Amino acid sequence: FTPLKLALYAGILLGFVMLESPLVMLANMADPFVLGMPFLFFWNLLWWSVITLLFLVGYWCNWGSRS
Amino acid sequence: MTASILIIAAFMIIPMIVGLVSAKQSVATSEDFFVQGRGMGSVAVFFTVAATWWSAFAFLGSNATFYTNGPVYLTALAWNLLFGLMYYWVGKRVWFLGKRFNYLTPSDLLGDFYNSEALRIVVAAIALVFTIPYLQIQLTGGAYLIEVASGGVIKFWLAALLFYFVIIVYVWVGGIRAIAWTDVIYGALLFFGMMYAGYYISSQVGGPGALFAQLQASSPAHLTLPGPNGSMGYPMWFSLFLITAVGAFMGPQIWLRMYSVKSGRLFNLMPFLLGVAAFAYVGSILSGYTGVLLEPGVANPDQILPIMLMKYAPFVLASLILAAGASAAMSTANSQIHAVSTIVTMDIYQRYIDRNASQARIVSVGRWSLVLFSLIAYVMALTVPGVLVTIGIAALAGTAQLIVPTVGAITWRRAHPMAAIWGLLAGVACVLLMTFVPAFRAPLGYHAGVWGLLLNSAVFVVLSLCLQRHDRQVVERFAEARDDYDAEYHPETLDDGRAPLTEVTPATSAR
Repeated sequence: FTPLKLALYAGILLGFVMLESPLVMLANMADPFVLGMPFLFFWNLLWWSVITLLFLVGYWCNWGSRS
Repeated sequence: MTASILIIAAFMIIPMIVGLVSAKQSVATSEDFFVQGRGMGSVAVFFTVAATWWSAFAFLGSNATFYTNGPVYLTALAWNLLFGLMYYWVGKRVWFLGKRFNYLTPSDLLGDFYNSEALRIVVAAIALVFTIPYLQIQLTGGAYLIEVASGGVIKFWLAALLFYFVIIVYVWVGGIRAIAWTDVIYGALLFFGMMYAGYYISSQVGGPGALFAQLQASSPAHLTLPGPNGSMGYPMWFSLFLITAVGAFMGPQIWLRMYSVKSGRLFNLMPFLLGVAAFAYVGSILSGYTGVLLEPGVANPDQILPIMLMKYAPFVLASLILAAGASAAMSTANSQIHAVSTIVTMDIYQRYIDRNASQARIVSVGRWSLVLFSLIAYVMALTVPGVLVTIGIAALAGTAQLIVPTVGAITWRRAHPMAAIWGLLAGVACVLLMTFVPAFRAPLGYHAGVWGLLLNSAVFVVLSLCLQRHDRQVVERFAEARDDYDAEYHPETLDDGRAPLTEVTPATSAR
């Protein structure tokens, strides 16, 4: 792992942990509504956008590889 | 009504024309028919992967699940991201090995790396047996949508027949090239349809904000896990995430879309593109939840979106959106029929019946296989009932088992053929047992596919550590290929200072 690759994969892993580990149950509530949507939906869209953005960064920096 | 029939006719005829035109570039070789000569460009790859992966399961099943079970389908955002990540990380390595050793099917790579004829047969059998039910639900969903969009003028049996006739015509002539270009149309139509359906239907209750507020007042259980029925909690949330992404990714139709790619660079971008595409599920959230408010108590939840469109949208708009739904089904079905035909032709006919078959003969067998398996799926659609998502997940749980030996083949030189065979058999047996024997169903709430993957992985790792491979030549050939991959794409992982390669060169054929 180069430092960039490490940061990239760590960020993606954090996103998946927030979306798919039992931690997601901490966000399993309708209140408070955020941006007009229940909190669980906001939580999912938030981390979906974080990972998608990291995928774009991955493309830009060749997934942290030196090539 | 006339306008709706015209929309359906256009939906059938335009892709057929596109497929036939693109087929003019085809040459009658197996590599062109099955993987477009490994020269598929970026636009075609994105649309054919996305449209193949998004099926009737996504278009109708997502609305149905939000409608009946609350937010569990929201995990689709994450499973799309996982699919994209696997397409980059696993897919790029599979593409590299496929290009070097001339692979066309999953059995080619796994049979070659593990140097096992028995494994080759097991992999082909799993790919065939679990792909056909998934193919059946595309036909069921697509034909139902065409029947509704035509106002009942085109009956289900006729819609299903038309559905397959159109597919067979252009796939027969153009192979995967024709599929990829028709998928550009289908893909654009399906993403538009999902988003616009959600926007339009939710406007009937005042838009997304008002929809959520009304839902919280009238049915708050729809907004949190485990949903109104209490059955869709965290275990199913995680199960759907894992099984849907891995099962679809390991389908033979996606393998062909790894082998077909022209440039390794495209794999770097696909996770982002597939991640962005997942936003279309917001349309499904809005459609499914509006159904809870406007049309509670629909007996077959797969029909909630068509019912609302026919009731609340102008007939022409409803027909257009339903045609978009049929696109989701058609773009998956065409790829699956083609993939099944590839397996039958290359893994069975060419390997065990006629090893010296000419290229023309192989393409001919591939074409007739299309007709045969279309017929099987057609009969199943008319005779086997079931809910789209239930059948879909069971089928995906089977193909998902292939991920274990695949990851072993691209990363681990100790991976042993007996470990791969027994791991797969244990995983599939576990899936079948937990799917068909009620006493064993979903221990701790997790789907059979998750338990199958756990057992499969455990058997694979333990046996690989206990057994020694003696076919050093094969192991070294793959180790060298993996080193070349790293030299090309990840030079920081090498310690010998080799310069990056300039291209992937075909080497010893696996065939």
